[in-house]
Amino acid sequence: MSALTAKMRTLLSVYYAYMLEYRAEIVFWVLGGLVPFFFMAAWSEAARQGHTAYTPGEYERYFFAVFIARQLAIVWANWTFSDWVRTGKLSFHLLQPLDPAWRILADHAAERGVRLPMLALIGFVFALLFPGALVWPGWAPLLLGLAASTLAFLLSFLVAYSVGLLSFWFEDATEIFELWYVLMLFFSGMLAPLSLYPEAVQRAVYYTPFPHLVYLPASYWSGLEPADPRGFAVLGFWTLVFFAVARLLWRAGRRRFSAMGA
Amino acid sequence: MRYLRLAGIFWAASAAARMEYRAAFAVSLVAAVVETAGKLFGVYLFYSNGYDLGGWRWQEALLVLGFAQLVDAFFILLFQPNLRRISEMVQDGTLDFVLLKPVDGQFWMSVQQVGVVGFPYLVTALALLLFAGSASGLPAGGWGLLGVAAVAAVLLGYAVAFLLATTSIWFVKIFNVVYFLSSMIWSAQYPVQAYARPFRLFMTFVLPVYFMTTAPAELALGRAQASWAWALFAVALGFFLLSRAFWRFALRYYSSASS
Repeated sequence: MSALTAKMRTLLSVYYAYMLEYRAEIVFWVLGGLVPFFFMAAWSEAARQGHTAYTPGEYERYFFAVFIARQLAIVWANWTFSDWVRTGKLSFHLLQPLDPAWRILADHAAERGVRLPMLALIGFVFALLFPGALVWPGWAPLLLGLAASTLAFLLSFLVAYSVGLLSFWFEDATEIFELWYVLMLFFSGMLAPLSLYPEAVQRAVYYTPFPHLVYLPASYWSGLEPADPRGFAVLGFWTLVFFAVARLLWRAGRRRFSAMGA
Repeated sequence: MRYLRLAGIFWAASAAARMEYRAAFAVSLVAAVVETAGKLFGVYLFYSNGYDLGGWRWQEALLVLGFAQLVDAFFILLFQPNLRRISEMVQDGTLDFVLLKPVDGQFWMSVQQVGVVGFPYLVTALALLLFAGSASGLPAGGWGLLGVAAVAAVLLGYAVAFLLATTSIWFVKIFNVVYFLSSMIWSAQYPVQAYARPFRLFMTFVLPVYFMTTAPAELALGRAQASWAWALFAVALGFFLLSRAFWRFALRYYSSASS
């Protein structure tokens, strides 16, 4: 275990340095994630004209929480792994006495380290532009929301990694993740708070991971609606499922790998 | 004419290469349909809650959505696969080979690849435009304007994307710029009138996404009397010329791999 911790610490510092080098790229990535604020602008305008259940301030708080929740759960493991398989870089990683999943996980974790200061900056600007929108949620909701978003990150990571593993069979599998991404976009509460969705839709997607990935942490942080702790169970269940899927695919796929003379 | 022929050759080769990845294409078909359904659902959410997106009938709002999808489709089809290569080529120093070719550098960098996974998006975008156009009862003149405005909107999208991608001559790894732009198109899928004023100004003057989605719809619907919509053509042409000038300017700072 301590050997693994030491390896992870090294990998984290390596990837942190690497990510710092390309911080300009991360800036644009963060900026590209500003989309929830446009939904916020439309909904709070709707609220100003008296059309919906919430006030403009509540929308501002909610969509800021959505923005943060999405930023903390961004993954690209599918892309990295697929690239390794296609270009044969995987061969070098297979030589090391470490499951390559750890390397990709370290890559993601280190990137959060570069992203966090930018999020803090955006939060600061947001608080200036929308005075009174950000309200301290209290320690318990803050930590519960963080736990939810960590679980959401883990699940997204495992899904992305599983999709990446499919590259052992299909040369270019990353597109499959696009499907997951699109479903998440529409059913995670980014378009609007889920409570505004038609009842039937809310019920239909309840046991899928999508409504909990973003909406669960966002409701803890924003307090727009009482958060539904059962979401943890749903997320936990799917995390276990995709953990199993990732292990199975890894075991089966490794044998098929034959790139670059391996 | 020679350039048209070249583009044809590039695309045929690139499409043939991409068709190696048939699974990806099949998935993108499904993804395009799901994404379009989701975007329609997003518009539905507003109308079912009684908000008319700042005075638009739903058919007309779908026209705006159609333009957003159209520009987005071109991002997937052409802009992303090509413009990411500027960044890659600066990183590897292979941009030299492009500059040596007896072809306009910007042309070569912009049309060499085609991302076939964008075709399903293009088809759904055109279907959406056709449906929304006939549902809002466009007259013949409206359809004509729709076509011209669509060309201008795509040209503007290209010019802005190319302009930003060119900065990789200095910043090297800046592929996410293109991701950033296509996500901004996402935010422009509703008419700008739906947003609060500061956002409206931002989408018109800072990021010209207003001209890519709302303005073409206003032109086609004949709602353009009192708005900036006609400026679309000037803005598109202006940005295109600017992107050419900026490319030539940036190349002066390109110091290749070995020199």
